[in-house]
Amino acid sequence: MTTDPILVGEGIAHEFGDLSVLEGVDIPVAPGEVTAIVGPNGTGKTTLLRILLGHLSPTDGEVRYMGPDVDRPIGYLPQQPSFRPQFTAAETIAFYAALLDEPAETEAALRRVGLADAADRRVEALSGGMRRLLGIAQSLVGEPPVAVFDEPASGLDPSMATNAFETLADRAADGTAVLVSSHDLSLVDRFADRVVFLNRGSVVVSGSPAELADSTNSETLWEVYESVIREPAARREVEA
Amino acid sequence: MTDARSQFRALVGRELRTVARTRIYALLAVGVAGLLFALTAGGGGAQTGYLPAVVDLLLPLELLVPLVAVAVGYRSVVDDLERGELAVLETYNVPTWVYVAAIYVGRAAVLSATLLGGLLLVGLVIVVAAGPDTTVYATHSGVDSPILWGRFMVLTLLFGLAMEALVVLLSVVARSVRAAIVLATGGVLLAAAGGDALIVLGLADGWLTESNLLSALAVAPNSAYRGLVFETVIGVASAGEGGSAAPLWSLLGLVGWLVGSLAAATLLLSRRQL
Repeated sequence: MTTDPILVGEGIAHEFGDLSVLEGVDIPVAPGEVTAIVGPNGTGKTTLLRILLGHLSPTDGEVRYMGPDVDRPIGYLPQQPSFRPQFTAAETIAFYAALLDEPAETEAALRRVGLADAADRRVEALSGGMRRLLGIAQSLVGEPPVAVFDEPASGLDPSMATNAFETLADRAADGTAVLVSSHDLSLVDRFADRVVFLNRGSVVVSGSPAELADSTNSETLWEVYESVIREPAARREVEA
Repeated sequence: MTDARSQFRALVGRELRTVARTRIYALLAVGVAGLLFALTAGGGGAQTGYLPAVVDLLLPLELLVPLVAVAVGYRSVVDDLERGELAVLETYNVPTWVYVAAIYVGRAAVLSATLLGGLLLVGLVIVVAAGPDTTVYATHSGVDSPILWGRFMVLTLLFGLAMEALVVLLSVVARSVRAAIVLATGGVLLAAAGGDALIVLGLADGWLTESNLLSALAVAPNSAYRGLVFETVIGVASAGEGGSAAPLWSLLGLVGWLVGSLAAATLLLSRRQL
């Protein structure tokens, strides 16, 4: 089933001085789906997310949000979420909830990411993985129609990483448009409804994991990655 | 739309709670109080009365107040920028002016408590140490009085608030926490000493004359503060000692530094890409 996108980036280009980081990127993000952006380091994933969030202006192209008019249209988990170390997990979420008109339940937000037992623990006493989970809880405060996650599984052990992606998939199942950038192809393969392969600032291929596997005669997303990113890169090196 | 007032309250509350739970700010307050006490005791003014103590403390405070403002506020915005917290706050539709105002109010409260705490302590020392005539609440010129000490505290606070606004502006400009401390220290010292140096240079070169000297003194924050203290505290008890500053212009000068710095901070932050 295809749903109309709620957030669309059309013809996105961005340059830092003379360096072109993104070029002609089209990306639709639909509600009820997990859309994953995959690509090598330095390919423009974070820049694309920042542009879609409105934190960075594109050199060319446009971003359109077509969702409901709410207090918080887009939730965001930065690559390295950081909080005031003096605050407890519950106080941190309560602070963000206080920025919105609609009351948000702190306990429910922490329970959703498995941090209910650590509610009274100070941020400085949380492990790196728990802080990332707290970041995910923060990004979902106010039930934004779109949620953007920059490397949500980075630095997490396999079990916590799976928990993190399960939380995102649960949100998508509830109708949220989830956009995630990740290097973990097995988790993306398992949880993403649509994958966008980004390389050297451009979209190489995109589609559901099954469509991508079919179109590249691959069995896994890793094989897709090999055929659309690693092999062309190796060919370019040989030609050079 | 989200209520800006409740966002403001939440942000100020976060600042105050952060400070209350950070031991270094308590140590700063104790250090400032101790230093003011030592300066007053060492200068000998406390035994004589409020005005001699004002004279003892005026010059040290011109340097101490900007440095306390730096210590309290140099990380205020750059920390949130560097840690990506501002990018997150942006998704809650927090207007830039609400953020800047809340950060400023939070830090200004800490600065006020630090400075007023120290000056109140010195005031108590004077009450205990000085002669009986210093307890007189003067209604006319020529008499030392606790009211004059109160004025001195208010003017010092105003000077501190103007410096704190400048520090918040410099924290917006800084690209990293390390750069912020250098920028804030350099910036406030430049504003503190640079204004006086420029006035001296202007008088020496002749482009500043006696007719526009009082206006120039009102523009530089330190000389504005000094002028206000001379005119409304020291000059009150010293007959015929007025005319060293334009009090209204000096007051407007300090308020201008405060409002101008916060307006510039808001403008720069709203243009900065997160």
